[in-house]
Amino acid sequence: MIPRRLRPGLRLGAISLVLTIALSSILSDAQTPKRGGTLRVSYGNEISNLDFHTAPGYELNWVAMNIGCGLLGITPDGKFVPDAAESWQISPDALLYTFKLRKDVLFHDGTKVDAAAVKFSIDRIMDPATKSSMRVYYERVHSVEVLDPHTVQIRLKEPYGFTLHMLAAYRMGLVFYSPTATQKYTLEDRKSGKPEAVVGCGPFRLVEWVKGSHLVMDRFDKYWDHGLPYLDRVVIRVIKDPVTQMAAFKAGEVDFIVDFSPEHVDTLRAQNPRAQIMTGKETTPMVAQMKVTVPKDAKPMSRDRAPHAIFNDIRVRKAIGCYGIDRKEIVKIAFKGHATPWVGIIPPGTPDAVDVMPMCPYDPARAKALLAEAGYGPQKPLTFELMTNTEKSVFNVIATVIKEQVARIGVTANIRLVDKVTWMNVATQDGPFDMYVEDLASLFTLDQNTLLSHSTAAWNTTRHTDTRIDDYYARYAREMDPAKRKIIAREFQEFSADTLYWNTISGSPFYEVAQPWMKDYVYNAEWKILYKKVWLDK
Amino acid sequence: MRTYLLKRLLQIIPTVLGITFVVFVMMRSIPGDPVVSLLGDAYTEENAIKARHDYGLDKPILLQYVIWLGKLVQGDWGTSILSGRPVLKDVMLRLPVTLELIVLSMAVALAIAIPAAIIGALRQNTWADYGATSVAMVGVSIPEFFLGVLLLLVFSVGMGGALPSSGWVYLPGTCQTVVCAAGLWGNTQHVLMPALALGVGRAALLTRLLRASMLEVIRSEYVTTARAKGLSERPVIFKHALKNALIPTVTVMGLQVGFLIGGAIVVETLFAMPGLGTYGIDAIIARDYQQVQGFALITAFAFVVINLIVDLTYTFLDPRIRYT
Repeated sequence: MIPRRLRPGLRLGAISLVLTIALSSILSDAQTPKRGGTLRVSYGNEISNLDFHTAPGYELNWVAMNIGCGLLGITPDGKFVPDAAESWQISPDALLYTFKLRKDVLFHDGTKVDAAAVKFSIDRIMDPATKSSMRVYYERVHSVEVLDPHTVQIRLKEPYGFTLHMLAAYRMGLVFYSPTATQKYTLEDRKSGKPEAVVGCGPFRLVEWVKGSHLVMDRFDKYWDHGLPYLDRVVIRVIKDPVTQMAAFKAGEVDFIVDFSPEHVDTLRAQNPRAQIMTGKETTPMVAQMKVTVPKDAKPMSRDRAPHAIFNDIRVRKAIGCYGIDRKEIVKIAFKGHATPWVGIIPPGTPDAVDVMPMCPYDPARAKALLAEAGYGPQKPLTFELMTNTEKSVFNVIATVIKEQVARIGVTANIRLVDKVTWMNVATQDGPFDMYVEDLASLFTLDQNTLLSHSTAAWNTTRHTDTRIDDYYARYAREMDPAKRKIIAREFQEFSADTLYWNTISGSPFYEVAQPWMKDYVYNAEWKILYKKVWLDK
Repeated sequence: MRTYLLKRLLQIIPTVLGITFVVFVMMRSIPGDPVVSLLGDAYTEENAIKARHDYGLDKPILLQYVIWLGKLVQGDWGTSILSGRPVLKDVMLRLPVTLELIVLSMAVALAIAIPAAIIGALRQNTWADYGATSVAMVGVSIPEFFLGVLLLLVFSVGMGGALPSSGWVYLPGTCQTVVCAAGLWGNTQHVLMPALALGVGRAALLTRLLRASMLEVIRSEYVTTARAKGLSERPVIFKHALKNALIPTVTVMGLQVGFLIGGAIVVETLFAMPGLGTYGIDAIIARDYQQVQGFALITAFAFVVINLIVDLTYTFLDPRIRYT
């Protein structure tokens, strides 16, 4: 028998207990991933085609990394994690990378992911006939050997400190194709997104791609990571206009927007207070590149180079690119403050980035003095062409601000607005330009920028011929000790700020927006957009 | 009539081919190269030369056109350089969307223009007339994209998603893809805002034109005679006056199809619709020559066919018109 005086206390205790249990069960239920549902994703740009190893553009990467699997992955804090490879070893001389594969990984066509399949995909990328955009990264690979069905070895020509980065994340990282399907179907079949031809080993399999309409991926039931993915389906639609994207988001028509326009972030936040707005370190550089050399014989891409009439002179490059541009003002106007003013060869979010901004303070007086030293002034005013393109409105805003800023030092910049393809043609084919504004590729490492600024690179759009840049890249890539690499990176960035063959003006922020019910998505910049662990709480 | 029709149908062939030839040459004359878009980061001179060779882009332009034409005759519209997708298949997938948009925008335009013009003409120089004329002026002045954004803000954002902001639901039976939403109600919801955005500008133009024609017609002798005979106002206006006043309007409607196709590019992009407009603009931006040709071919064909239908409509509106 319970004494009467204790009864209210006991009742209260019992109620508390029940409430605690109920609440904790609700909370734990909310945190327990739920199976099922369709994730509706919006891209701002169209997917070019579905051949993983050759198609340009990030949009395809973001699809490929969900349909495909690779040897390993990488976390936002830079840790390498197993994927189809359960473990790996690096030889003491850093020339041999041996990967032990899981035994239960299947391609979507039911064939096994074995060492031969890994070799097949790497060989395909390395084959010049494939014309893979990833081939340039694999130039240090000597060969791939199958040691046994579950062990594959990559032999390098020389030590390369970024082999694992290359396999995990350069572009989309190494993504395997089923050898059976690849041999059976043509390149056109893969490009056009025929589901039987685009066969990977990732958590989702391709169901259908209708260009301009949608791309559908369904859960792969035999995915090696049992229980994953949680989602039944992912549907990707292209909504190019940010206003429409916002309307679709507000109306709950889309769950996730990849690559949301930074100019509209504040509006979206105000309209959707519960939205998950994700961003991180800026890994893409916004540049105002100045052309350094031109073909001597007037034939584009000629090896015989002559100095560019304006920007070959380091004094002019520094006057305009360094002291004449107020980077803080650009960020304030063009990005509403949502970016970092920056200078140097890598953006602020790339590992080993160093702030060398003090080397390029905004100093119009110094800029004018340098221009005078170079022979420019009221008697001989400097005029140059500033090319920009229509892909993103922010480019035009930046170009306009630069035009205003250089006018303050007596320089006229004539803006030439072209479309993206024309810009690509002019920039990559050594066409005539003085300066252009663009945000170039997202840089996972400093090493990755070799593609865009090595003196022999096709994308070395400024056409500098300074082999000291190449030496820095070579030293940095060869160095296996991260601490020593940091020192080289600092030297390199100071050298870059001093020579301005590469002229970063700020980082270019990257935003992703998700509805509150999209759970367990991990932001990892442009590098990894993975839906494997995503679930919907609704 | 039959001879006339045959003659007009035969005229379609040189007209469409002429347009495709001009587009073919123009696309290759503007700066930009599809190979650059195709290769992206993999762009090197060596790769570009190989790719141009693979796609026959290194051949003389005239020869390229002849090759394209030769394939076209066999029903092969080519393959998109960038996506590798067959052009004909993609055009056929997108055609119903744009066709529906254009037809409904024209319906929206007429639904607004006819009553507004009649009111304007019958109540000339009254507040009703000024109102209709002013609304017409405002309609002409608002670009499609602006009206589209306003509609989005009101119906999708402001009214909590009363109408869907983007995408497409096909009419039942018109879906050609594996994963596809189809339904009459969904289709109506999706097409309403785009059709309004595209139709209002045309409505304004047609209102002004039709009002002027109506004013002319209602002052003509046969309308006076009809009234003198004791006919009530309704048949006089709708049977005698409107039908005749519609002739110049119908002519302009035919010509407006070209503008509607142009407007469809803007509206489809804004509302993220999988139509021919977005197909065409994406192709032009990427310099995807085959895709541009497909777009030019179908739009040129649609334009001439619609104008032929317009010409044939005259006989219905005015029985005195005979084609021989």
